[in-house]
Amino acid sequence: MKGEKKEMSTKVPTESSKKKRKRDLLQDDESNTQEEISLFSTVNKDDEKETDNVAASSEENDSNADSDNSDNDEDSDGDESSSQDEEYFEESSEEDSDDSGLDEGTSQEFGNSEENGSNSASGKTDEYEYDSSDEEDVRNTIGNIPVQWYDDYPHIGYDVQGRKLIKPVQGDALDEFLEKADDPDYWRTVKNKLTGQKVRLSEEDVKQINRIQSSTHPMGSEGLYEPWVDTFTSEVMEMPVTGRPPDKRSFIPSLWEKQRVGQMVHALKMGWMKPRGEIRKMKQNRDLNEPSLDMWKEDNEPEITKRYRMHIPAPKEPLPGHMESFNPPEEYLLDEEEEAKWDSQEPEDRRFDFKPQKFESYRSVPKYSRFINERFSRLLDLYLASRQRKMKMNVNPEDLIPKRPDKKDLQPYPTKEAMVYKGHTDMVRTISPDPSGQWLVSGSDDQTVKLWEVATGRCMKTLDMGGKVTAVLWNPNRTVNLIAAVVGSEVILINPGLGDRLLCSNTDSMLESHTETADDSAKKSAVTWSKYDITEKDSGFRVKISHSKPVIQVTWHAKGDYFACVQQDGKSQAVLIHQLSRRQSQAPFSKPKGIVQRVMFHPVHPYFFVATQQHIKVYNLVKQELHKKLQANCKYISSLDVHHGGDNILIGSYDSRLCWFDLDLSTKPYQTLKYHKKAVRQVAYHTQYPLFASASDDGSIIVSHGKVFSDQLLNPLIVTVKVLRGHKTTNHLSVLDCKFHPFQPWVFSSGADSTIRLYV
Amino acid sequence: MIMAEPMASMEHQQHLQITFFTKQAQYSIPDAPYSLPSSFGSQELNGIVHSVLYEGATKDAVDFDFLIDGEFLRTSLETHLEDKNISAENVIEVEYVERAAAPRPETSLAHDDWVSCVRGSNDLILCGCYDNTLRLWTRDEKCLTTIPGHTGPVKCLAWLKHEESDESPCMFVSGSHDQTLFVWRYQRSSNNIDCVFACKGHAGSVDCVAVNQDGERIVTGSWDKMIKLWSTVESEVGNQDPEDEEESRIKKKLKSSGQKVSLRVPLVTLAGHKEAVSSATWISSSSICTSSWDHTLRVWDMTTSQPTAVCEGSKAFFSIAQSPLSNLIVSASADRHVRLHDLRTKEMKGTYTSHTAWVSSVDWSKNNEHLFISGSHDMVTKLWDVRSSKAPLYNLVGQEDKVLAVDWSIPDLLLSGGADNQLKIFNYKQTVN
Repeated sequence: MKGEKKEMSTKVPTESSKKKRKRDLLQDDESNTQEEISLFSTVNKDDEKETDNVAASSEENDSNADSDNSDNDEDSDGDESSSQDEEYFEESSEEDSDDSGLDEGTSQEFGNSEENGSNSASGKTDEYEYDSSDEEDVRNTIGNIPVQWYDDYPHIGYDVQGRKLIKPVQGDALDEFLEKADDPDYWRTVKNKLTGQKVRLSEEDVKQINRIQSSTHPMGSEGLYEPWVDTFTSEVMEMPVTGRPPDKRSFIPSLWEKQRVGQMVHALKMGWMKPRGEIRKMKQNRDLNEPSLDMWKEDNEPEITKRYRMHIPAPKEPLPGHMESFNPPEEYLLDEEEEAKWDSQEPEDRRFDFKPQKFESYRSVPKYSRFINERFSRLLDLYLASRQRKMKMNVNPEDLIPKRPDKKDLQPYPTKEAMVYKGHTDMVRTISPDPSGQWLVSGSDDQTVKLWEVATGRCMKTLDMGGKVTAVLWNPNRTVNLIAAVVGSEVILINPGLGDRLLCSNTDSMLESHTETADDSAKKSAVTWSKYDITEKDSGFRVKISHSKPVIQVTWHAKGDYFACVQQDGKSQAVLIHQLSRRQSQAPFSKPKGIVQRVMFHPVHPYFFVATQQHIKVYNLVKQELHKKLQANCKYISSLDVHHGGDNILIGSYDSRLCWFDLDLSTKPYQTLKYHKKAVRQVAYHTQYPLFASASDDGSIIVSHGKVFSDQLLNPLIVTVKVLRGHKTTNHLSVLDCKFHPFQPWVFSSGADSTIRLYV
Repeated sequence: MIMAEPMASMEHQQHLQITFFTKQAQYSIPDAPYSLPSSFGSQELNGIVHSVLYEGATKDAVDFDFLIDGEFLRTSLETHLEDKNISAENVIEVEYVERAAAPRPETSLAHDDWVSCVRGSNDLILCGCYDNTLRLWTRDEKCLTTIPGHTGPVKCLAWLKHEESDESPCMFVSGSHDQTLFVWRYQRSSNNIDCVFACKGHAGSVDCVAVNQDGERIVTGSWDKMIKLWSTVESEVGNQDPEDEEESRIKKKLKSSGQKVSLRVPLVTLAGHKEAVSSATWISSSSICTSSWDHTLRVWDMTTSQPTAVCEGSKAFFSIAQSPLSNLIVSASADRHVRLHDLRTKEMKGTYTSHTAWVSSVDWSKNNEHLFISGSHDMVTKLWDVRSSKAPLYNLVGQEDKVLAVDWSIPDLLLSGGADNQLKIFNYKQTVN
């Protein structure tokens, strides 16, 4: 029986019988079938699938029906074939009852399920004819693009011929609702997005979906419980293969893992990497209408990265022109003259490195003899030429020079000789203006001290000193009217009797008030203080301090009570500090440390500047210690002045240099000025204006602008502004002293030509 | 149109269209344009005006000066137009005025020492000297008297009251290095001089003094940076501390050799200048202007004793003077320039540069708003016209040393005193305006 059936089965399945079978299977639901039929007429692939499914489900139905039949088609055992036989039998039996009005296409669809049968039966069909496994659905040719793009159009795509596929009529929401209410199969009706048509899922489809949803095998329970072949045993052997103890590294956390995790954490933090959830969210949020590839999008690479991309493409070879043609126009061909010229030229000088030639045909063009050379040089160019962008600094050298302020901005400063104070008969060694600016005192080699009215040049008084006057200095204290004048080894304090009467009388009474005590005279051995008697007082002389050695300099403290003297060859007593109020003198330095040239009091702090030949030492008078030692880069210091702020000092030297020290900066000169041609005799700061002046043997007084900033960060600004001349040179000496007016931007100078000059 | 006779060499030169006009009606000429070579200077223009005005008669011809846009023509027309940037295309209107006659040196009055200050009044000339004396001269070279009294060089003086009759004798005031101010009365008929009172209070040399219109207020400036106001009216200074007065009177007695001198203290002291006060002048009945070495001009209201304006300069001022007509101020500085200031706008209106040294003193003409004089240490006194900034009208040479003081109080006399102990008097003939 079985054998028969098998035979039958090999014979019987004709196309019509299959159709019957299909009919039969779908009989239970007539409407559905009809719809599918209508689908079949227009659609291929979808239906194929469906019918496949249907076929499969039908088989399954059958196999379910007779429960023991769980075999596949591949199994060609007798048991299985029996069931098939039954099927076929049924089908054939139904053949009559069913109306076989189906077209061929429909019936062909079922060929899939039973290829063998159909092959054997029809004989002409190709094995792959119906294989649609990797065929595209060609009903709609729009491809795999979002169908939403067609939402606004009446059509839904294009068929193979390029005709528009019109969307099937869609009911409105009411229709939908009615349908929902009326149609009992509404719940399993889905819509085909590509075609816009509704498809009712078959019973089998629903089951399959249910199975998928419940995470069971989608094809049912068939073949799920095959016996397990334990090829590699899971049992643990009691004896390990090796007796090696486990490594330590297997117990400690992996370094590489840690590193990798660190990298990932960093990437997350920086936003280079995103957690999975976020990526999903991004995908959801992405605009579906946005084209996935926008080739016209602007190149958003920032300018800066473009600039840093150092790539320079190699230049392209020029395209050949008409001249290179095998058949160039006549005008490109060389005539004899040109050819001779071309031949005579050096290869480098030629405008083109070949001769245009004419050939009859392309075939007759010979091999290009320089081909290898040209390729080679081209390759050399590509490989060896360094195509590299080099950053080049474009600096104008003039910009590197610091800007000098305009001289006009630095005004006022003395520019012109305004007054000559005439009266002395020998060289005027020293001058000093009165702190009020009304008077000027001068000491000369004609053994006189003269007092001048600044504004008119009137000599108000002349004092006979009985010796060459080497230094005069007005007391800086404005409440005391006193001049210290140096004659040889004596320092004489003079009350000039000019200016405020009250001041003069106060000064006198102050000097008178001192009463000499016994111990005073005992102490002083180096110097002798003595008073002048009444007769001499009219001349203004008040106190005389006699030293043992010639005095070369006298300088007042800012308060006007102390003054210091420098003795020539004084050894340990080279520097003496006298106190006026107590008529006391002291020699602060026990040991001579070089030949002292100049001394100076600090204007504010208790410091004392001592200039030896090559150094300036700053002593703290309170602590009695060396505070600082400055190195003047010159051979022989001649003069010294301290800025009224106290942080800058200026020295002049006999080797014609001028050094500006900024005590805050260094012990070396902040600036060395070498604008004098001969020895510098005197340097002076202005007390109010940012000016300083230097007098030199070359007959000039050079006025410079020297601004000291209160801001610690700014270094002094030094600009030379004016060279003043006027003094005549006599005996290699010219200008001997220069001093600034206390509050006007004027400078006084005294010279070897026995004049004093004022420059305003 | 009248063509000037062209010379052969001037054929190629540029010619300018010029019209002449004048504000002095007696010299007016027809208003016709002239085509003149651009190389013409005032000399040639003068010749043209003469030829039109006097038709060749040169006998008592008046010389003229020419102004283009209010500036004196001192060079050729060409360079002047270039300098002033005036277009040569248009017709140039040239004003001509009668040329101020050259001041004539009249006489020289010899002193014993430097003349530091000088003031004239009617026919009297008062000088202050460095030998601590004042000298009173008449304008015909007669020394009326020499007044000792100061113990320091006399630096400044001013007339309080001009002589009217014997009943009201003239009065003047003098300030000195000795920090005092003396007010003197001079009886001409008896040639008697007496000191009315002395003013003490300054702590520095009294450098300037100014008296207001009615002679009741004296303002002084000193090297001690202060400005002090004094009164000459007896009743106003009654509330003095008698003891103090007594004490100082005794002092004074000793000084002025037995002469009884009453002492006055200042009504008001004004502080504000940072340096010495160099000059002061009354600019109205109630306000003064002072100049100082601290580079400022300050205006003070004397009724409230408050400063009202500060005018910053760039150089120290040594002397200022105000024109009674134009109310402009000229100032003298150490840098050779004389500067013209307008106090109302507080700006400098002009710089007059010709001196070669320190300018010590300036004074305005009392009846010509354009003229002022300046004395300088270059030994020259210069007569300036405000409209000519590059060159003065005349240089008054004669002084043999620094000029320390100039004065133009007497309209027809220019006075200058200097370090050569001479007081020079120049006669200046006023032009008809």
